[in-house]
Amino acid sequence: MRPFRPKRGDVVARLEPAEAGVLGLLLDQLEQLLTADADDVDGDPVMARLLPAGHRSDPEIAADYRELTESALRSGKTDDLAAVRASLPADGGEVRLDRDQAGAWLRTTNDLRLALGERIGITEETEPPEDPAGEEGQQLAVYYWLTALQGSLVDAVAAGRR
Amino acid sequence: MPSPAEPGEGPSYSGRVAGPLAPTRTPESTVEETADLDRPWVTIVWNDPVNLMTYVTHVLRELFGYDEPTATTLMLQVHNDGKAVVSSGPRERMEHDTSRLHAYGLWATYQKDA
Repeated sequence: MRPFRPKRGDVVARLEPAEAGVLGLLLDQLEQLLTADADDVDGDPVMARLLPAGHRSDPEIAADYRELTESALRSGKTDDLAAVRASLPADGGEVRLDRDQAGAWLRTTNDLRLALGERIGITEETEPPEDPAGEEGQQLAVYYWLTALQGSLVDAVAAGRR
Repeated sequence: MPSPAEPGEGPSYSGRVAGPLAPTRTPESTVEETADLDRPWVTIVWNDPVNLMTYVTHVLRELFGYDEPTATTLMLQVHNDGKAVVSSGPRERMEHDTSRLHAYGLWATYQKDA
């Protein structure tokens, strides 16, 4: 990967074919979660993190909030996901994003990190894997790769704003 | 939000109750209720182990128009203290702010100001 950097009003990165493939698979999995029947993902901690409660202690306010906002939040997330998929070269290569596309990438890579982080139990103390072999090591490696990708995108967008 | 009593407005002692057991506020409920209606709602961002510090700063600038020092101060408050109030106002606006933060994946809630 060549991380994101600002370039003439856009942000640009380059992904290896394997990286584009992994990102594509993660997008598929996130889409399945976001479009699943409510009953199938009820109580899934990943969904609770992607669509959190609006109030910490008052279930009535939390229910009101969910009714008011959930469908718009869901469709916003699936729209972002579609925008990322449309600007991701399936076989790797240059990714060039305008401001709106960069926003969609920021939010979607964040959702992927939240979902993956919840599944593998990321805490403040978690560190990158020393040995990225084995399933856990691989998932951690993917998580930290996404972190590097999103981190470079945040920096590139912030640099472009100045 | 209850504010400290102005000098001269506090309960006056008749001499019947004195010392540390003296009442420090009037028992009338109307005072409390009025204060309750005036109390604003707040939107709170909570710390979590995933969201990048730079990303949280970016989102606060983007959504609320905070300048970089203000957004950075709030982000550090979330990071160090576990939470920060990022906006306050009527309930409907706090609902809206919370949902905008959820769209960016920040862990936010709204509540009546404590």
